[in-house]
Amino acid sequence: MSLDVQTRQTEAGVTVVVPSGRLDVAGAPALKEAIGDAIKNGPSRLVIDMEGVSFVDSTGLGSVIAALKLVRGNKGDLRLAAPNQQVRVVLELTTLDRVFAYYPTVEDALTDF
Amino acid sequence: MQLLREKGPASLDETSVMLFESALAEIGANVLTHGRRDGPNDAPVQYKLKLEGHMALATFVDRGPPVHNHLTRAMPEPTSETGRGLAIARQVLDELGYERDGEINTWRLVKRL
Repeated sequence: MSLDVQTRQTEAGVTVVVPSGRLDVAGAPALKEAIGDAIKNGPSRLVIDMEGVSFVDSTGLGSVIAALKLVRGNKGDLRLAAPNQQVRVVLELTTLDRVFAYYPTVEDALTDF
Repeated sequence: MQLLREKGPASLDETSVMLFESALAEIGANVLTHGRRDGPNDAPVQYKLKLEGHMALATFVDRGPPVHNHLTRAMPEPTSETGRGLAIARQVLDELGYERDGEINTWRLVKRL
């Protein structure tokens, strides 16, 4: 099953990317594509709403890291919101929790962004 | 994994089941990618999963190149987009076995759930 990705813009100009499904080998390309589209018009602030992501694997994580590098390379920034327990555990195991700021909800991620 | 959740004893530890699923996804993706690298795309890969009491045991058998040199690879730097799969599996499992016999790779994943 592939990953479904929706994108929306907040009034403050932050792009919220909302993947749903499994962020794994099959799903990672869809997220990469959505992030690529979101940042092509210049510096961006991005929030990835992880609430609908049921499972992440190392390839899925790779796509999030690629997104982070793209966005920061473009003088923007990226925050993760609402990761479930599996996603949080994998972020901690891989010490990526030190690289990604993650927030309990999208609203929290949007505050002061 | 769904079957394991449905048919396994109710006393299985949900976090351990989740981590076992992560390891399965990592080794499975590895086997499907590298296990077929030198052969046809549809080269057979054998996969077995069983639960004995609270011990989950999975095996994968493939005919890809040997991977001894990948086994002890440490968790890569946070900015790396690849190379975390085996490190994740090793961390979450009670045992990750690998054996090369002739042209055949056998992976053995064990975790108490």
